[in-house]
Amino acid sequence: MLTIKVLGTGCPNCKKVEAIARQAAELMGMQAEIIKVTDYSQIMEYAILSTPGLVINEKVVCSGRIPTPAEVTTWVANSLEE
Amino acid sequence: MEILDFLTKLLHGGLGNLAAYLAAHVLLCLAPAFYIAGAMTALIPKESVTRFLGRNTPKYVSYPAAALAGSVLAVCSCTIVPLFAGIYKKGAGLGPAITFLFFAPAANILALVYTGGVIGADLAFARLTLSLAFGIGIGLIMALIFSRADIAHDKATDAMFAAQSQKGMRRAALAFLLILVALLLAGTLKVGLLTDSYAQVTLPVAGANRFQEFLYQLVPYDAAKGEEGVTAQGAVLIVLLALIGIASWKGMENIHSGFNRWTWLAIGLVGLTLLTAALGVQPHANRLEVLFTGKFFGVLLALVALAWLLRRQLTEDEQRDFLWESWRFVKQIFPLLVAGVFAVGVIRVLIRPEWIQALAGGNTLAGNLAGVVFGVFMYFPTLVEVPIAKMFLSLGMHRGPLLAYLMADPELSLQSVLITATIIGRLKAWVYVFWVALFSTLAGLIYGAWIDGASLGLLALYLASAMAALAGLLWWMNRRNQAQVVAQSASSD
Repeated sequence: MLTIKVLGTGCPNCKKVEAIARQAAELMGMQAEIIKVTDYSQIMEYAILSTPGLVINEKVVCSGRIPTPAEVTTWVANSLEE
Repeated sequence: MEILDFLTKLLHGGLGNLAAYLAAHVLLCLAPAFYIAGAMTALIPKESVTRFLGRNTPKYVSYPAAALAGSVLAVCSCTIVPLFAGIYKKGAGLGPAITFLFFAPAANILALVYTGGVIGADLAFARLTLSLAFGIGIGLIMALIFSRADIAHDKATDAMFAAQSQKGMRRAALAFLLILVALLLAGTLKVGLLTDSYAQVTLPVAGANRFQEFLYQLVPYDAAKGEEGVTAQGAVLIVLLALIGIASWKGMENIHSGFNRWTWLAIGLVGLTLLTAALGVQPHANRLEVLFTGKFFGVLLALVALAWLLRRQLTEDEQRDFLWESWRFVKQIFPLLVAGVFAVGVIRVLIRPEWIQALAGGNTLAGNLAGVVFGVFMYFPTLVEVPIAKMFLSLGMHRGPLLAYLMADPELSLQSVLITATIIGRLKAWVYVFWVALFSTLAGLIYGAWIDGASLGLLALYLASAMAALAGLLWWMNRRNQAQVVAQSASSD
């Protein structure tokens, strides 16, 4: 089971990351639970300096920028191997 | 009928103001500023600044670094709040975090350029230097007041700051950013080399002046109020802006799935708009005189260099991030700015100049305080504080209280105070508010006195005595704190 968290309080970039993550998961035919974390105290538990942040299975893979769908696919594949 | 007349007057006020802001000179400063902000966000690696914000960095490095982070990294609140919380909880501590929080909204590139373009370079410069001095000052004061709490703050590692790679900016990216700044300067600087006209073309367009008169009838203006009306050139620019909007919507919105024809069309249109804005246009009875100014050649040169760098030197990731971030800033800020400017124009009709002049017409303590209080309790979207300040200025507000307002408004809105309070606690947040209010008032008074022609020596004396009083107070508090710490450790022995 894949858990993808999108960290961010709802700025346009955060919504974009969520859409890209969803798209990547669908493309891979994965059952993924996508959680939006909007509470600052929860966001700050992860080691990120700027939103949006992308967390796959509790590991921060990217923060402060928007990844491409290809990157997300790679990270998802990596997290499955672990 | 009277109500209808009144409403028409309000509508004209709003339209007149909007037209003045979409006019060529604001466009030439604001459009490059959006792209500079986008390039800064996309092309400057955050690590190059944040690595100076770790816990073990000496104070004389971490405070200026925090201010630098505020001006280059934090154009939007998406970055401000997480970075603020990160510096506070896991990095350099409360002081630099506060410096960062204070400096970011006041001295980021968009705010400074817009202030300079709309109100005047002197006020932008005052905003920058006073924000820098006071941002670091307030940071130091907060760190001192809460020195005990700061030592105790959570002991999480600062690996986030320290263990990052030390990569700098790529040379091509840096050149790209610098040429964007050159584009901004070429479009806005008012020096003879740029404003002089070097060539002239006369186009046989019949009825150019009738079109112009029609526009003036549509949007009547009053030069005494600082309104400019819509020129024929302005009308062309507004049409071009609308086209850019459509092309960008189709080309930039889904840029993460790849570039398309609309993307390049949008970029081309932006270039065309900037070039049109840099031309001088004079409508006559049956011809149109087009003046090629130095500005035009400067903008052309910068655009050619930028196009070459963008296509040949930046990687595809850099291109995409740059275009997306710039578009995101435009999308996020521009509509609110347009609405805000329109609203300001409407309100402008309703406010009597006498009220403003009575309240803040001179550089008094009460006037400066009024500016600050207005800044704290009013919340405006990013950058809208600038047209509002322009309105106050045209209504007769003194430049001193105006600066006090401009310093306080972006830093202190009830909303930002509440967010800050959830991160550093309510007591610290309100102490911070108190200091910002105090320092903004002080900034207004100092700048106002300078405008009124006070000698620099007298100002230095004022500043020195204020600082001495402050230092005395802090010294006393620090001693009391230490005495308490000693007493506590003695009683626990």
